[in-house]
Amino acid sequence: MSVSTYSERPAAKAGETDGLSVPWSRPRPKRAVVSARLVSAITILVLLTAWTAASLLQLVSPVFLPSPAAVWAKIVVVARDGFVDATLLQHIVASLWRVFAALVAAILVGVPVGLAIGISRIGRGVFDPLLEFLRPIPPLAYLPLIIIWFGIGEPSKILVIAIAMLAPVALSTAAGVRGVSRERVDAARSLGATRAQVIRHVILPSALPSILTGLRIALGAGWSTLVAAELVAATRGLGFMIQSAAQFLVTDVVVMGILVIAIIAFALEFIIRRIERVLVPWAGRE
Amino acid sequence: MTHLTLDKVSVHYDGQPAPAVERVSLDIAKGDFVVLVGRSGCGKTSLLNVAAGLVEPAGGLATVDGRPITGPGSDRAVVFQNDALFPWLTARENVAFALRLRGVSADKRARRADELLSLVKLGDAGDKRIWELSGGMRQRVGLARALAAEPEFLLLDEPLGALDALTRERMQTTLLDLWAAAQVGVLMVTHGIEEALVLATRIVVLAPGPGHVVRTFETHFGRRYAAGEPIRAIKADPAFAAARAELTDAIFEGEAA
Repeated sequence: MSVSTYSERPAAKAGETDGLSVPWSRPRPKRAVVSARLVSAITILVLLTAWTAASLLQLVSPVFLPSPAAVWAKIVVVARDGFVDATLLQHIVASLWRVFAALVAAILVGVPVGLAIGISRIGRGVFDPLLEFLRPIPPLAYLPLIIIWFGIGEPSKILVIAIAMLAPVALSTAAGVRGVSRERVDAARSLGATRAQVIRHVILPSALPSILTGLRIALGAGWSTLVAAELVAATRGLGFMIQSAAQFLVTDVVVMGILVIAIIAFALEFIIRRIERVLVPWAGRE
Repeated sequence: MTHLTLDKVSVHYDGQPAPAVERVSLDIAKGDFVVLVGRSGCGKTSLLNVAAGLVEPAGGLATVDGRPITGPGSDRAVVFQNDALFPWLTARENVAFALRLRGVSADKRARRADELLSLVKLGDAGDKRIWELSGGMRQRVGLARALAAEPEFLLLDEPLGALDALTRERMQTTLLDLWAAAQVGVLMVTHGIEEALVLATRIVVLAPGPGHVVRTFETHFGRRYAAGEPIRAIKADPAFAAARAELTDAIFEGEAA
């Protein structure tokens, strides 16, 4: 064996010192990943089959459980002709707009609040109890108060969603800020960074992976608040569509709405994971 | 001549019953390479942090040219054991960090960063991300980043501690090259006895309970390297072996074998 065989692996050795990931030791059996996916696929297939069978054999009345074919047909019809005066796309756009407007609001408030909790004792003293108070309250509980205060317009709906998003954004930011390595901050200070520069150039970028995780959780929380937010005086939106359908016992639209909400949630999760990979490629590699 | 001086400095951490360091005096002139050695708990890193302005001394005074040290500053750049580099920046941007803080224009600081990267023999790694670099390469980026601040003093807290033995050996000469090129005073903490001998112009031996100076050695092996003598020849010199034995004795003095 010549020495050159050792020097051929420096790239793999980069992560050696952290002791966390040693990629070449204990090669992971790739089958395990594939079979987990396979099991998931089979599970879904079995559920679909059971659903189809139940409706074909008329074990359950279509009022309670419409067949997959009926739901699919309904998707096509609603997409083309609409339901309660709006097409499926218009409902989706209305809901997405509310959730993203709320997300922007939650970021604008939550990131500075999280930063304050993470870097200052006073900030933690002020905001920690408020967030802990807010976090466990279900949106349906504060919805009436928001309507009393802010009316039944669009701002109230966005606010309901934004409140649900605030705690995850702020708490993830705070956790990220507290997790910043002391040495990194000290190194920056010894290179001449002022307190503001440390925050801007070291703490915020260090906390970014955690902040993005918070956004992902917040999107999930906000999206699941949608139905509550669209409970009052909405004319469009997926939550409104489901509620209207329920009032008329149009079960296929209800089921369709649930599926669409689930699919969009899944897509959002996927997109934000992609964004994470582009924005913070170092996460987990240090 | 610029001096970094610790005058009878004591360090006492909150909640600790005993001080970590008691009345230690040090003087580092520009051009000196002072190495602190000693067993664990002797307060080496505490003293370095006082010099850096990261820890406030409980007693005594730390000064640069008579001006008291009140906090960290770019005249005393610190390099830590774990590189503390910024993974969201490339190697070049890491090196240029201090210049960016000062508002130096983008292409000026890129040029300066590339010069410093060549100085640490990483001339072609400017565009690399931090996680693509090996431990030794990261530590060299860390040194270049510290030098970019144009410090009077480099404070090195076990900078080679996390490296494997062979990389360590090579980094020792890199450190000597930088020290000669940058004309700085160096204060370094290390566990390596041979490393201390190779690098230092002065070795300060500390002992714990609470940390105090037991002996100070003036050494010349680093200067011999700077004067052009190959490092292997220096290490093979019988005088090196003798100094090594003497230093080892001083470190373990008073400790049951």
